[in-house]
Amino acid sequence: MNPMEILAAHGPRFLHGMGMTLLITGLGAMIAGLFAPWLALWRAQGGIVAQSALRPYISMMRGTPLLAQLFLIYYGSGQFRPELQAIGLWWFFREPLNCAILTFALNSTAYQTEILRGGIMGVPRGEIEASRAIGMSRGTLLRRVVFPHAYRIAWPALGNEIILLMKASALASVVTVYDVMGVARQVYQKTFDFSALLWAAVIYLLITATFVTLWRQSERWLSPHVLAMEKRGRR
Amino acid sequence: MTDQPVLLAEGIQKSFGDLHVLKGIDLTARKGDVISILGSSGSGKSTFLRCLNFLETPDAGRVVVHGEEIVLRNGRPASMAQVEKLRRHLGMVFQQFNLWSHRTVLENVMEGPVQVLKKPRAEAREKARALLERVGLTQRADVYPAQLSGGQQQRVAIARALAMEPDAILFDEPTSALDPELVGEVLKVMQGLAAEGRTMIVVTHEMGFARNVSTEVVFMHKGQICEQGAPERMFTAPATEAFARFIADTR
Repeated sequence: MNPMEILAAHGPRFLHGMGMTLLITGLGAMIAGLFAPWLALWRAQGGIVAQSALRPYISMMRGTPLLAQLFLIYYGSGQFRPELQAIGLWWFFREPLNCAILTFALNSTAYQTEILRGGIMGVPRGEIEASRAIGMSRGTLLRRVVFPHAYRIAWPALGNEIILLMKASALASVVTVYDVMGVARQVYQKTFDFSALLWAAVIYLLITATFVTLWRQSERWLSPHVLAMEKRGRR
Repeated sequence: MTDQPVLLAEGIQKSFGDLHVLKGIDLTARKGDVISILGSSGSGKSTFLRCLNFLETPDAGRVVVHGEEIVLRNGRPASMAQVEKLRRHLGMVFQQFNLWSHRTVLENVMEGPVQVLKKPRAEAREKARALLERVGLTQRADVYPAQLSGGQQQRVAIARALAMEPDAILFDEPTSALDPELVGEVLKVMQGLAAEGRTMIVVTHEMGFARNVSTEVVFMHKGQICEQGAPERMFTAPATEAFARFIADTR
């Protein structure tokens, strides 16, 4: 069969797979994005004792394969089925999709935390002092000065992390989630046509390209002052 | 009550590790005082200034601003809210300007009134424009700090401090990071503030400013106030050998 026929026959399936890939990546990254700034503050400004609570988690997540983490949560939770049933959480771990999203969120939280920590460390000290000197409260300081700078600094690296997560999300297909990769394998097993995998590659590329374009645009939106200087430099 | 000092510091002490930087400094600023703090580097003058608004916490001593004493407990301010309140009454201008680089000039001046004093944006904007006019930067309201020269940035920083309507302004070597040809424009603005009766405490190396503009000169040496008095008397007849040597060396 030629590639177009594969697409014609299985297009909707691939489309569904794409939705699934976007869902697990998007949810995973967003959940991580909710926790990462606070953990990053904790990492950047917490005392040594406070930090020691966070370090093992980050080391674990960054130091072991994502696939191993996925297996640990998916198959591992199966080992504790009675206990999970007892505390009323089994419904969650029973679904491979939930396990995949949870794994990706946990993993990405660790990475995003470290990326944002770098951003927070890069906030100009003098600007923080100026904020304190006019009597800003800590909350206002974070909202108006620390996070705007930290996110601007961390933004390219955060984009990179989301792209890596998106590609890593193909691992979810191993625990029977029908994302792009899952669909491609399914189609390939039915048709033995190699182009099923090529279409998967095309879809991943498409997602990445779109994401990179949007992300770059948002980067410009975050850094008007940097842009103003670049314009001046070109003149 | 009328003679209540704007700012009162008593017995301020500060150590960094083994280094005893401040060994008990007293300072009283009344309304309209322009106090220049002189001293060679390492004499503790910047540290003292930073103790006044608690960017550094003094190890001992008391600071009273706006009639309110900051309460220390276990070597820290007992209430950060109280410190924040004090800081609203004390503007500060830094050696390195420290403007918020991600906000425009106008936004820098509006930030305090809007975010800290909770003034309406329109009111803050109007006031910020007036202040920018005052420091001669109306034209540059919408550019970012990095697009300005050092002297312009420092003038924005002064406008930013003024926007809070402080009781007194602390200047921490405001001209030390500037190219020589830019020092004048900043000093001129400061001179204008002094002339309108603002209370200012200025850590500086500008002998001309200390002598001609300030109402009082404080000379710090090795963490203590070595000599203090009216500028004219101090510069024409220094009472201590250390200050005599200091003005001879800086000439």
